Amino acid sequence: MKLGKRWLPAHILVWTYAVLLVVPLYYFLASAFKSNDEIFAHPFAPPSSLGLGNFRTAFESADLGLAVVNSALVTLLSLALTLLLAIPASFALARSTGRLAGVVEKVFSLGFLIPTFAALFPTFLLAAATGLFHTRIFMVLFLPATALPLSVVILVQFMRTIPPEMEEAARLDGASTFAVLRHVYTPMCLPGIATVLLLNFLTFWNEYLYSLVIIGPDPAQRTVQVALPTLKSITGTDYGVLTAGTVLTLVPVWLVYTLLQKRMQQALVSGAVKM
Amino acid sequence: MRSSLTRRELLAAGSGLAAAAALPALSGCSSLASADSDPDTLVVHTQLGTTAPGSPTYLAAVDRFREENPGVKVKNLVNGDDLAQVYETSRLARKEADVVMVNLYDKTLAWTDVGATVDVKPYLDDWGLAGRVLPAALADWTDDEGRVRAFPYFATNWPVAYNRALLDRAGVAEIPTTGDQLIAAARKLRAKGIAPVTVGGNDWTGQKLLAQIIQTFLSQEEARHVYSTGDFSGRGARRGIEYFTYLRDAGVFADKAQGLTSDSMTTQFNTEEAAVQSAMSSALAKVPEQVARHTEVGGWPLADGAAHDGPTVIRAYTLIGFWISPNGVRKIEHVEKFLRFMYREDVVARFVTESGRDMALRTDAVSTGFPLVGAAQRLGSGVSQVLLPDVYVPPAAAQPLITATSTSFTRGTSPARVRAALESAYRSA
Repeated sequence: MKLGKRWLPAHILVWTYAVLLVVPLYYFLASAFKSNDEIFAHPFAPPSSLGLGNFRTAFESADLGLAVVNSALVTLLSLALTLLLAIPASFALARSTGRLAGVVEKVFSLGFLIPTFAALFPTFLLAAATGLFHTRIFMVLFLPATALPLSVVILVQFMRTIPPEMEEAARLDGASTFAVLRHVYTPMCLPGIATVLLLNFLTFWNEYLYSLVIIGPDPAQRTVQVALPTLKSITGTDYGVLTAGTVLTLVPVWLVYTLLQKRMQQALVSGAVKM
Repeated sequence: MRSSLTRRELLAAGSGLAAAAALPALSGCSSLASADSDPDTLVVHTQLGTTAPGSPTYLAAVDRFREENPGVKVKNLVNGDDLAQVYETSRLARKEADVVMVNLYDKTLAWTDVGATVDVKPYLDDWGLAGRVLPAALADWTDDEGRVRAFPYFATNWPVAYNRALLDRAGVAEIPTTGDQLIAAARKLRAKGIAPVTVGGNDWTGQKLLAQIIQTFLSQEEARHVYSTGDFSGRGARRGIEYFTYLRDAGVFADKAQGLTSDSMTTQFNTEEAAVQSAMSSALAKVPEQVARHTEVGGWPLADGAAHDGPTVIRAYTLIGFWISPNGVRKIEHVEKFLRFMYREDVVARFVTESGRDMALRTDAVSTGFPLVGAAQRLGSGVSQVLLPDVYVPPAAAQPLITATSTSFTRGTSPARVRAALESAYRSA
């Protein structure tokens, strides 16, 4: 295929953008195999060896294996709870035409206005009062609460695009309200659900401040974002070890992201077939 | 449309059950073993445990303690810079660790006052451990009301490290001992493309060096007053600030020092990009062998009319101490066993020989494997000691002072503006 000159600016922009993304990623990955001296003396040079010493040190000294398991538990259970609450709430709001539904939807939107730091102290007090301070279960309950505004707003918009005739047809077949949600709305909203899952997965996995304060530093419970900074030392951080640790914690994110992207595409296709 | 149980529904039900089973595991069973939850577990909140200097020795010592005391379990909670914040929130929830290993600085200065930790003097005396502590260390850990905030443990020397090979390459024959010699050396080093003095002008390393230089014209008593009150209007403090700006504008510090951090400082020195750094002994212990081999330690060069006899160094005994929490008091017999063990001569010696740490305790051990640490310990009457201001700076002024430090290291900032920045750090507090 021969490309005309008018394509040139687009190509330049695309390649520039690709380089902007790839260069920091390369620097990050290469640093994981280097010593501090190599990182600072020749930042962009390829590593002299591909030894896994930095990875081993990071994994063992910060107990990253257990931290990844803890993060996975907290993240997955929070995601499940988020969907469990957001899907029925969005379904109800999308189908309602009354003034009260409009108010409730706006109340959900107001959740965006609460700054993270402002909620820290009341959240801490709540955790202490409920006896759930220094437990992961509080985070499993708390994270969905923070994610609901965005999740509901996204899903409501998706559900509003579903023609009412779809529900009417299901009703004629004798479907209950739950069946309409289960067999009509949910399958047709899978792209939206996948989007919500992706966004919330990244937020939950990367959450630091609340995990630090609420779950705390106990290696048996701490999440990966709390474990990772312990590789930093005030008298000279080993950046090779730190970046290696960061790479290790990013692997699950990359896997889930890739998996969910595929699922999202599959959902689009299978939704079309079901229609 | 109502259907029997499909494979998909089975999976959903299974996931639900799995989640239901996981929830209890997330809460009660493995919740933090705080003092009230398990009377046989001693919870230690520490900054040692991963890559901080002394961590392997500490972990080995704890393992040894476990072997010798099978009835006592020790659980380490590890945090970095955020330890104080995490401890304080844990204390508010009454779930704090029993023993905390942290330095006396910023937030921790207020802990004894507000009851976050207890006065350890009665324990120090009752357990007969007071005699193990260096008198200067005991004085530093004692507050105005005679309370000892924690069991002193790590100390530090804070000398100035000079890379002899780089100085030779630039044609600097002697280690500078005066400000003018330092400026001349800096010019020669710059001519060879070598950064002179590297410093984290944007963090605590810059703050300490600035304080050290300001104290050039102050006695220890005057320095204590200046850093307790934030009153830099006295003649000695003003002359110290002028000396600092004179050195700075003469190019003594590495370029863009106001944006550097302790990490960049140690890296510049360790990779021989810079010839001089003011570094605490734990950082000196990390200087690579090939650089340490031709590095000498000394003090910060003086100006004419200085209040000191020789180049200055900082010595501090407040680096890490063992603080006892109110929860720890409930398990005081375990705490006693642990601290008696950590104060034992053989355990203390391990930190010196294996990790190159300076101790706030009496010990005959010498850091042979860490030549720069040993050299700093041997700096005798050739250097003069200035105060580490950490203990005297009000907690609320500690962070604003870091911001003021960055302003101070910015070239062209007048002495009056430096003074205003320092004083406003105290006012904002």
